Amino acid sequence: MKVNLMYSYKEWMPIKQYHDFQGMARDLGLDVLFRAAGQDSVLKYSKTVYALHEDPFLSQCMRKAMCVPLQTKEEVQYRQEILKDCLNHEDFLGKLYVTATKVLEEWGKLGKTKNHTGIRDSKAELITDIQVLRLLVSGMEEVRGILLENMERLHSKGFTSLLERINREFSGEARENLEQILRDISFYADATAQRGEKGVFTLNRPVIKLSCGLAEGLKLGELKLEGIETRVEDYSNPYGIKAKIQGRMNGMIPGCISLYKNTALQADAAELEYQAVNYVMASCGGVLQSFGSFFEQLRFQTGFYLGAVNIASQMRRFQLTYCFPSLGKQDELSYEELKEAAMALASGKKAVGNSESLDGRMLVVITGANQGGKSTFLRSVGIAQVMLQCGLMVAAKCYQSGLYPEFFTHFTRREDSAMNSGRLDEELRRMDKIISNMGEHSLLLLNESFATTTEKEGSAIAYDIVKALKEEGVRILTVTHLTSFAMKLYEESGTSKDTAFLCAQRLEDGTRTFRMIPHEPELTSFGLELYDEVLCNK
Amino acid sequence: MGFRLLYPSDECEICSGSRAYIQDLNLDQIINKVCDGYDEEVMALYWDLPKDRKTQEYRRGIFSELKKKELLPALMDFLGNMKERNACLEKVERVENPLQKQVWFLREGFFYVKALENLRETLSKKEPCSEGLKGLLEFLDGCIWEERFHAMAGEAKALFQELAGFRLHLTYEKERFLVSEEQDTGKAESGTLTGESQKGESQKDYGTYLRECFPDNVQSLKSPFLSDVELSELEMEILRIFQKDHKLFFEKVEVFWKKFQKYAREDVLSLQKEAAFYTAYLRFQEKMSGMGFSFCTPQSSRDSIEALGLYDLALAVASLEDGRQVVCNDVKLGGEERFFVLTGPNQGGKTTFARSLGQLAYFSKMGLDVPARSARVMHFEGLLTHFSVEESMESGRGKLMDELERLKPMMEPGQRGAFIVINELFTTAANYDACIMGKRVLETFLEHDCRGIYVTHIGELAKADERVVSLRAQVDGQKRPTYEIERNGQDMTDALAGASRQVEKYHLTYQQIKERFS
Repeated sequence: MKVNLMYSYKEWMPIKQYHDFQGMARDLGLDVLFRAAGQDSVLKYSKTVYALHEDPFLSQCMRKAMCVPLQTKEEVQYRQEILKDCLNHEDFLGKLYVTATKVLEEWGKLGKTKNHTGIRDSKAELITDIQVLRLLVSGMEEVRGILLENMERLHSKGFTSLLERINREFSGEARENLEQILRDISFYADATAQRGEKGVFTLNRPVIKLSCGLAEGLKLGELKLEGIETRVEDYSNPYGIKAKIQGRMNGMIPGCISLYKNTALQADAAELEYQAVNYVMASCGGVLQSFGSFFEQLRFQTGFYLGAVNIASQMRRFQLTYCFPSLGKQDELSYEELKEAAMALASGKKAVGNSESLDGRMLVVITGANQGGKSTFLRSVGIAQVMLQCGLMVAAKCYQSGLYPEFFTHFTRREDSAMNSGRLDEELRRMDKIISNMGEHSLLLLNESFATTTEKEGSAIAYDIVKALKEEGVRILTVTHLTSFAMKLYEESGTSKDTAFLCAQRLEDGTRTFRMIPHEPELTSFGLELYDEVLCNK
Repeated sequence: MGFRLLYPSDECEICSGSRAYIQDLNLDQIINKVCDGYDEEVMALYWDLPKDRKTQEYRRGIFSELKKKELLPALMDFLGNMKERNACLEKVERVENPLQKQVWFLREGFFYVKALENLRETLSKKEPCSEGLKGLLEFLDGCIWEERFHAMAGEAKALFQELAGFRLHLTYEKERFLVSEEQDTGKAESGTLTGESQKGESQKDYGTYLRECFPDNVQSLKSPFLSDVELSELEMEILRIFQKDHKLFFEKVEVFWKKFQKYAREDVLSLQKEAAFYTAYLRFQEKMSGMGFSFCTPQSSRDSIEALGLYDLALAVASLEDGRQVVCNDVKLGGEERFFVLTGPNQGGKTTFARSLGQLAYFSKMGLDVPARSARVMHFEGLLTHFSVEESMESGRGKLMDELERLKPMMEPGQRGAFIVINELFTTAANYDACIMGKRVLETFLEHDCRGIYVTHIGELAKADERVVSLRAQVDGQKRPTYEIERNGQDMTDALAGASRQVEKYHLTYQQIKERFS
């Protein structure tokens, strides 16, 4: 049974991840988003305490899901649709998540009792399997109930087809068969005598019918299970007089073998019970496995959407406008009031929004003053792109871009190593790995790359790399202080429309707006001014 | 010795001399995979290299026909029945209860008969034309028309059918088992109680019910009564009840047991091993072909060894597990040419190439298909290899001494016309000495009319003789090995010129990036 809420055609799997997602998450500050995903505001309604409920599992779901970029427009739309349903019906989503979590936790408890002595007890394991199957069957029924109850207000294909799938694979005959089978073998799991009405003890006892041949050296072979069922019988003392009489009588019937006081035969009978039940359970093994993975997937996948809902609610709390991005052609990139979500959520301060259309600009060079908002802008694009490619909303009024499953960030990592020569080496090594992983449609964000060597050398290296990659159709956004690099690109660009030059805006009176506007590269990065400003303010 | 599938006649010899090639060419790794699931006896058949051309052609004829006429299933069926028969034999020997012993013996005989009869029938339908398979059919005919076999076949089939027809019903409830025998289905249908037969139809057994519920996961019920041959307490009780009703059957089985002791023919038993030699390789080859590795039947050639798309089969086998790259090469050594001298950078695929060439010679001599797209291989009198090994610590001999001692038997005049694979000789000796020694070794092999390949660091050896062909492992623009081997290939060891070493090291110059994308 498939959940298929992350993809319409398959379950979630951590394959085809971004290259070096860990580094990317650090460059873009995605940890803030993971944390926000884990701060649960949905489930709090069911609790008396109104504090935010921390659920680290939700953070993990978000981190893992973000690692894996979606590959097509349809995949993105599929998730967006589901997420819209979830945002409108948070309580419904919460119920699904809680049910899946509960089933898995109870399963964990059953599993833990198994094998704790270190000695394999196959009978106990079989009983556990029966109990797990019961748990999963009733859990599945619960999930179906939740979906059924809410179906009228849900619109996404994801949820409707999930219910259809459950109805198809687990309803009517299929469910009745499973429940029948569980009843038939219930003698094995519930074998203790119970006091029934009027104080009479009753016991679940099996009736097992076999047919077999003798062709293998007169041992019973080619076994067929003709029938197995559980009967409730009155309990009687196996050493009592009643049993004794019964044993005697059995001995007189032709073709009857009595187990009375014969331990060897009793052992054979016990083994027969075990093998017969084991056979039945093995046949159900597929169900056990498929239901088991269903609940694991359900917990993960609803966990992902719950995390997304939590991020959205945090965004609302900090008055950060969000929208569902639209997918354009590969060379399109335009945005309105695009904000850097991670920093805004972390600091709670009002963020500056940027608006621009960079359609067709395969190379974007961003220069300008320190502390002018360049890196923030670059990160805002990166975060928006990662969120888009995960099917999430984006912190902007409007965001349109292509899909770049091959998305890379190359930021100077100042803390990485101390030695200058070692740092250039490290930067080059990272770039080498990035290029090795590039494909047809790649997006690369460069933040002050190759600033670890002299300006002249760095410019030469950066120019070579950017030129070659641009020619190979890689979309590049680069923040740089390498003036000769930026100037050379500017001179070469001439009238061509494939390169854009952005600059941190400065009003005529010298104040900064922290907005990026189209502007030719500036020769100085206003470091001197900043120096003055810092010292003067002091 | 009677009929054999591996040798056309008893006079055929196997190659003498060291079998170092098994380890050196990584044949052990290949054969292990080939014989996965087969006895060690079958594996041992792969260690013997037939000496004469006739054997090679005899086997090739059989192998090609098996492939062409899709006879693998028939042979597999034969082996399956023989395996079943052997398993019964083992039980006959182990079990102590005389009733059981005789019933196992009946089963043993039945599968022996079935194995031979089935194989003969399929084979005669396919009208074999190769010498080996024609011989096999003749041999099987001979077996089957033997009087004793004929008598045994009739009795074994009749008795076994009777035995297989018995079916018991067992009901376990209320601290007891009820045993009853299933009535003959024919009688039940002719019975007048129509109501009962309807009831029988509507009540399907639980196994069928489970299969219908879970068609994707069909399981079978394991016997709960001791998995080994001995009867459990319950089975003994059941047998006691059963035996009373079937005295005649057990008497007939006892007669069969006494009459047909020592029925199996020695040559049939060895046929089983030799058939497995072919099925193991055919199955392996089909699997590898499915993974995209080509095989071909080598054409015979008068004086050349050549192949297109030749690869190291051991590497290919390993690549299934670790996904490493397998490179194919084209190769030709013909006319007056006698020896390859292969040079090039370390880790450039030299040893792999030498191995693949050795494997070409080996599989061709074995009469099997070779790991290449197409191949022509002349007849060699033997296959000799010499790979450098770690210094032998026990004897404390120097490496050079050890090498020379292993080399000595290879260079004896008795080894004329062999195929030679040499990997790195005399690495411990001074360069000047090594060069002279290497030349002498080459000269000796040339004198003995051997063909082969010599992997070495000593470039001068390539010019030692006109009959020597120089090969070189290639590198690409970044000095990375391409694992391709080329004739008179270019020496790529010159340093590349460049501005910044570091940038170049990571392949990040403008040119390098452009190349990476192309």
